[in-house]
Amino acid sequence: MIEYAGSGSGRGERAVRGELAQVGLLARRIDWLLMLAVVGLVAYGLWAIAGITRHDVAGDPGYFARRQAIYVVLGAVGFLLGFLVDPEFLQRRKRLVYGLTVGAMVLVFLAGSVSRGSRRWISLGSFQLQPSEFGKLLFVLALAGFAASRPRRTTSIRAVLEIVLIGLFPILLVFVQPDIGTALVYLAALAAVLFVSGVRWLHLGVLAAVTVLGVVGVLWLLPAAGVHPLKQYQVDRLIGFTNPSKDPSGTTYNINQSMTAVGAGGLRGRGVSGATQTALSYLPEHQTDFVFASLSEQRGFVGGAFLLLLYLLVVWRGLRVITVAQDVFGAIVAGGIVVGLLFQVFVNIGMTMGIAPITGIPAPFLSVGGSAMVANLTAIGVLQSIHARGRLGLRRRGGSR
Amino acid sequence: MSSVPGRSSSRRFLPPDPRVEEPYRFTPKLAVRVGMLGALALAVFAVLLLRLWGLQILAGSQYLRDAQNNQLRTVRVPAPRGPILDREGRVLVWNQPGTAIQLWPADLPKQGRYAMLQRLAGVIAVPISQIADQLQRHAGDPVTPVTVANWVNDKAHEQQVDYLLEHASDFPGVEVAQTTLRQYPRSTLAAQLLGYVGEISAPELKQLSKDGYRAGDRIGQAGVEAAYDSLLRGQPGIAQLRVDSLGRPRSALTLEQQPQVGNAVRLTVDMMLQQTAERALRFSIDLAHRSKNPYADGGAIVALDPRDGSVLALASNPTYDPSVYVGRVDPKKLAPLVDAQAARQANYPTIDRALDGVYPPGSIFKPAVALAALQEHIVSPYQLVSCTPTYTVKAQYGQQVFKNWDPYFSQAITLPEALARSCDTYFYQLGYDFYQLPPDRGHPLQAWAHSFGFGSPTGIDVGPDGSGLLPDPEWRQATYTKKTDPCCWQIDRLWKPGDSIQLAIGQKDLLVTPIQMARFYAMIANGGSLVTPHVFEDVEQPSPRGSLPQVLRRYTASPPQPTGVDPSALAVVKQGLYDATHQTYGTSSGIFSSFPVPIAGKTGTAEKVVQLPDGTSKLLNQSWFCGYGPFDGTDYKGRPPIVVCAIVENGGHGGDTAAPAALQVFEQWFGLHVPPATVFPPDLSR
Repeated sequence: MIEYAGSGSGRGERAVRGELAQVGLLARRIDWLLMLAVVGLVAYGLWAIAGITRHDVAGDPGYFARRQAIYVVLGAVGFLLGFLVDPEFLQRRKRLVYGLTVGAMVLVFLAGSVSRGSRRWISLGSFQLQPSEFGKLLFVLALAGFAASRPRRTTSIRAVLEIVLIGLFPILLVFVQPDIGTALVYLAALAAVLFVSGVRWLHLGVLAAVTVLGVVGVLWLLPAAGVHPLKQYQVDRLIGFTNPSKDPSGTTYNINQSMTAVGAGGLRGRGVSGATQTALSYLPEHQTDFVFASLSEQRGFVGGAFLLLLYLLVVWRGLRVITVAQDVFGAIVAGGIVVGLLFQVFVNIGMTMGIAPITGIPAPFLSVGGSAMVANLTAIGVLQSIHARGRLGLRRRGGSR
Repeated sequence: MSSVPGRSSSRRFLPPDPRVEEPYRFTPKLAVRVGMLGALALAVFAVLLLRLWGLQILAGSQYLRDAQNNQLRTVRVPAPRGPILDREGRVLVWNQPGTAIQLWPADLPKQGRYAMLQRLAGVIAVPISQIADQLQRHAGDPVTPVTVANWVNDKAHEQQVDYLLEHASDFPGVEVAQTTLRQYPRSTLAAQLLGYVGEISAPELKQLSKDGYRAGDRIGQAGVEAAYDSLLRGQPGIAQLRVDSLGRPRSALTLEQQPQVGNAVRLTVDMMLQQTAERALRFSIDLAHRSKNPYADGGAIVALDPRDGSVLALASNPTYDPSVYVGRVDPKKLAPLVDAQAARQANYPTIDRALDGVYPPGSIFKPAVALAALQEHIVSPYQLVSCTPTYTVKAQYGQQVFKNWDPYFSQAITLPEALARSCDTYFYQLGYDFYQLPPDRGHPLQAWAHSFGFGSPTGIDVGPDGSGLLPDPEWRQATYTKKTDPCCWQIDRLWKPGDSIQLAIGQKDLLVTPIQMARFYAMIANGGSLVTPHVFEDVEQPSPRGSLPQVLRRYTASPPQPTGVDPSALAVVKQGLYDATHQTYGTSSGIFSSFPVPIAGKTGTAEKVVQLPDGTSKLLNQSWFCGYGPFDGTDYKGRPPIVVCAIVENGGHGGDTAAPAALQVFEQWFGLHVPPATVFPPDLSR
């Protein structure tokens, strides 16, 4: 092991064998409960999607479920990649990672196709790549890299502002796609990075206050002054959930249909053929944005609560990874990934139940979509990598004492 | 990675080197922060779970109801219309099964819609422009199907229906639905009276939506169908249909509430008498043509029960077959009914001349003048007044001469004889006497005519109810102004002797409808009361085969209104009318004197300026006969009395054309069938 770590060049058969042995050691130290939760989520999600999308494509009831299964396979590859790459390597290449993040956003502007008023996707044959989904992971990795390289100095306001500025640039790029939902996820991840990297409470408080002021400014003050940074539909969607019965056929149509679907599910659910909100297309986007509403309609409180508990398990085990991380970089990355997930879960599921704004955030591991599935599974791979390496380091440390 | 523990162990007890990074440790500070994140996560999931609980468990039933209402659409199932029966229960209008071609606008293809509609138009033989029009009219209402064709189920349409059913997948959004259509088993019989049914128009819908009418409903558009639509239409059924969010049907209709078949409306009209009246009109028009009245081309016959105003027959000629409104509309056949040019060619078949045709009455108005003169003591019944070939009156500029129709008669006669002979000069004298009444007496002639029902609608229960025109000095003042009559208004607005004189023989400005005339003669027949004509007898609930229908409501006749006419005056006029049909000098004694039932009546030959088809105008005689029988008001062999008024437009003399038509109606009513030809040689001319 010491030989392996020290050898920068001469790679022989031994080295390869050593690497394989390293992988074996790592693999045995993953968080099995986290693994179980994620596998359960993905499997449960596939089963749910099969029911939800049964009536969507005439003559091919399994269309979306099949596609989603392919994404899961691709996601498994992403998981392995995330698991095998040494986080330290990523930390060292933080500038490259950051460049990739920003580059992906810029690529969307250059090659992205416009859909429903925003430019989010890059078409690759019959698949649509959504770089901002992968960007979530890259963003966290890059920010964590910058934050971890100056662990002491995150206590200084200058370092904090540096990280904030570094983080705000890609956020701005996502914001102007425009994809407010994803931008909010990035913002949540940025907050988590700052939080876990040990920024002082005073600084955190100031940043929070500035953020609140910024939101108020964008939503009320600037429009009052005649500047409209957001399009009207975006404002409606952001604040429409506070009063869903105001305009039942317009902006809040989706939210009403979604809440009706959730409520109609009752305790046991209405089943696949009985779930009329889903089957008769009253519920828009029911395989992506409003997938939780469909799931709740078909599977009821039992099915919905089960999904929530699986998410909770993932978040709990993810938070636990922070504590076993062997370095500050791992801890920050784990924090950013987990808080990002938690934020997505809350906004997506809260949106379907009328307690969060309508934003185009998919439900992790559930919504049909390749980019999100691959990115999220890769992120879990990174989490497991941090966990396994932390465990390995702990044991080694303990052994050396 | 592996160097970290070594390095840290070697410098464990030294002060930290600022150049070297502090080895990472999971500090208690970070533990607190992770703990806070955990608490946040727990709070988030608690909120989500509670919200899920609230929606699904606490408010679940409410949302379930919403979801069910979301997908169930209530659809109206039209009820079959009730039949229209004659007084004996014989069917005049009923229903037949039909096929409706309907479009569901929401389900029409987005792409290639025009091509599909064009193909559909070819198959169902309806112009594409008409289909587009229909769709345009129903734009904004995607849940009501648009009916583009109604077909009678017959051999001719079988192929088209089969084609559409076989190629249903080529015609998304096109539905072949079963429906019921109006059927007219007696063809043109009483067409204007019965009316027709058509889709409700936008203005009608606006007015009637509070009464439960909805877009796409078929509604009576004229005659009885319109007047009693609320009774005939029944109660539409309510069916539920599962639809998706675009309103596309996803299931068959399930009936929630059966449609209730409309009630049967029984009319006072006697089908056989109606048939006879219409045939008699055609016969008389033909007769007029042969007696050198080539412009005779229309007419009307009204037959009333003088006691209560029940309409027994209401014929109008020319007529049409209401079935042209049913099923596939043939534009060529429909044109005379809707297109102005074609309508003039066909002499306006949709006009119900019996109710809405206005004509100068001529001599049949004389009984009204006689009654007014007797009431106002202008003449006494047996006072002799000279009946001369001409009557001269001093006018503003010289003299004005009015002629009697009979230039060879010159004798002083009584009032009954004046009526029987229809002596114009006698009545000119009466008219001039009315004119000369002092102003404080008002206009008694018009006042009496008004109380006899002239100049105002009769109040009959089916439309259109014409009011005609009863001229008086005020009317002249109001009608002839500088604006309407720039050259001569100052003269024309004055009521001159000639106005009164001509009014006395029912000419000049006076206009009446046949039903007004029949109502007036009914008043004479029933002893002085003005009846309200009506065609509605009762409404009956359709009953299972074999059992008697249940009468729901009978016509509540408004009681005949006494006109205040002195019975003795009436008796004198009645005598005159009887003499007219029975004395040798009577104007229609040749026709009625030998008739077994005593008929009293008056002919009329009213001059009217008529626009001829070639554009010129000509003074033509409107041929009238009004009469009633039996004269004494009793039943004749169980048949109640009847009043008949007949008019043949441009038909020549009343005694020649209209009286024979009336005779046929009397014959039919009293069961005395005499072939017309034996009574009236076809080549007879005066």
